[in-house]
Amino acid sequence: MKVLFTIIVCKVLRIIGKMIGKGSSLPGKIALKICPDILERISLPKYIIAVTGSNGKTSTVEMIAHILMANGKKVAWNKEGSNQIEGVTTLVLNSSTLTGKVKADILLIESDERFARYTFRYIKPTHYVITNLYRDQLTRNGHPEWVYNALLDSIHPETQLILNADDPMVSCFGYGKENVIWFGAGDLSTDTTEFDGVYHDGQYCPNCKKPMTYSKYHYNHIGHYECKTCGHKRNETRYTVTSADLEAGVAVINEQYEIKLALKSLYNIYNILAAFTVASLAGIEGKDIVPHINNYVLKNGRVVTFSLGNRKGTLLTSKHENSISYNQSLRIAAADKEGCDVVIIVDAVSRKYFTSDVSWLWDIDFHLLGSDNVKQIVLAGTYSNDLAVRFSYTDINADKIRILGTVEEAVNYLNNERKEKIYVITCFSDKDKFLGRVSVD
Amino acid sequence: MKILHLYHDIMNLYGEYANVAAMQRMLEKNNVPCEIDKLSVNDNLSLMDYDFIYVGSGTESNQKYVLEHLMPYKNELKEYMEAGKMLLMTGNSFEILGNILKDAKGKAYEGLGFFDFSVKEQERIRNTADAVFTMEGQEKPLVGFINKCSTMEGIDLPLFQVKMGLGNETKGTTEGIRYKNFYGTHLTGPILIKNPYFLINLASDLCGKEMNGDYLTYEKAGYEITLRELEKRMES
Repeated sequence: MKVLFTIIVCKVLRIIGKMIGKGSSLPGKIALKICPDILERISLPKYIIAVTGSNGKTSTVEMIAHILMANGKKVAWNKEGSNQIEGVTTLVLNSSTLTGKVKADILLIESDERFARYTFRYIKPTHYVITNLYRDQLTRNGHPEWVYNALLDSIHPETQLILNADDPMVSCFGYGKENVIWFGAGDLSTDTTEFDGVYHDGQYCPNCKKPMTYSKYHYNHIGHYECKTCGHKRNETRYTVTSADLEAGVAVINEQYEIKLALKSLYNIYNILAAFTVASLAGIEGKDIVPHINNYVLKNGRVVTFSLGNRKGTLLTSKHENSISYNQSLRIAAADKEGCDVVIIVDAVSRKYFTSDVSWLWDIDFHLLGSDNVKQIVLAGTYSNDLAVRFSYTDINADKIRILGTVEEAVNYLNNERKEKIYVITCFSDKDKFLGRVSVD
Repeated sequence: MKILHLYHDIMNLYGEYANVAAMQRMLEKNNVPCEIDKLSVNDNLSLMDYDFIYVGSGTESNQKYVLEHLMPYKNELKEYMEAGKMLLMTGNSFEILGNILKDAKGKAYEGLGFFDFSVKEQERIRNTADAVFTMEGQEKPLVGFINKCSTMEGIDLPLFQVKMGLGNETKGTTEGIRYKNFYGTHLTGPILIKNPYFLINLASDLCGKEMNGDYLTYEKAGYEITLRELEKRMES
């Protein structure tokens, strides 16, 4: 009776929540209050696929769901991205029959890294993807090693791990396990042999602390690494991006499956690769995956095109407090040969909690905007002065930079006759302040 | 001026490299010739060669690793400090100067033993907070961020009074440690960028003459806004 009651309460609250535009975590929260072990009392599908990591979770999960559903699988997944235990509870109960059975072939869960150990105490994933561990929201998360330790507690011995072989810390999750499925990138034309970034989280071995060497870097500390002291090194991958041409927007998996990219970034390629890997493991053939991932435009609203007066622009949602997310967007702008203006907005550091910490600005490779493709840079928002200071420590010419205190001033200023495309780089917490003042396509 | 950014790569978790860049720029703008060395865990150290040594924050395991590397230089660092030379250690780096560090698993590490304090870490909760600290001799408060998993006990000579944020002890009202020209604080990240007035005073002390910080326009504007945001927060 308690299970039935809890499920009904959760479903009703979710319906009401949707009507009044509330997020999906509250119903689960209340359900957990009524019945703390509710997740244990639900009958779950045979396949439970979990995805966690610092970056790319939401996009990867969306693509996995898309491929699986296009191939006739019934998938229950946390579309809204509420990825803590409450959101996952809402997902599970909402996907259940009143007798407590999830009505799906596959339960697909995006999980927050720090809370995975709570969520997966009750739900044991059959497959567990860990995408990467980066410096992400350190004002809450501490540091990647802290997150690594928290995630360790979330892994069940019988779970099939699916790991990014190119991330030296993620690879440590595979220690002592025989059956890890590794994915990663082989030789890419954009690889470098020298490290180019303001900090290097792969400089020392995560296992023994001795210096690591890299035969190639894909980006930041993601690449082909080896510790000559303890032998920690990149594992051979079963699912591999064997070539990629970002300019043409094409990536090839296992030398066989050519995928056209809607978003021309290496980060997107990794997300696609992770999704391809999971779909393959779920029994879908490569030829049946490709058509559904070709030119796939993510529906999670992270990339938004707009017009401002006569000007065209693209907003690239980038996470504040996450330098690698910012670097991704900076690279996209810097690579635009048509020429562009770039707007960076830091007005509220987070939408979920208060902090005025801007240390993370110093981890971002803003020097990428030194590219000749970038004609003008506009810095805006409450923390525009801090951005200005950060830029003064790059070699970018100050004449190229405008500093404006508010988003409104930035929009007014940009509404000019310049021909360059506008890239807006900002976070969830600030993007609507900009998009609310322009015409979204 | 010879500056050493010690453990520049392994103790650089929150953009701390910018502290050295800020000091370097300050000296250059004031026509003080300076030279920067960046050394780390695989280098030999000759600490007495320097006028300013800086260490930033790292992961708990990197901090222990650094402690092990620094142990053979214990006497030299002590001599450096006693000579009144300037040492700035931020984040968890200064924790290694006490008697003992206990990690979350209960393992105890012997510290460098310069001070009579002890450190205890735990692994369940990250203690983080925006911070506003006041300090004797500084007209303006310092702003910043604390990000740690430890508490410290036994500090007699704190550096700051806590107006907002976390102290050395969980509910403590004082933070950091000060001895001669040694400054230790849990404030993380580029504190010399975020606190231009503190930078001016520190550089003036270092050089023995008043430094001109007129060029710090955006730094000062950024500081005022952060202080305003934090004060608003304190009131609410």
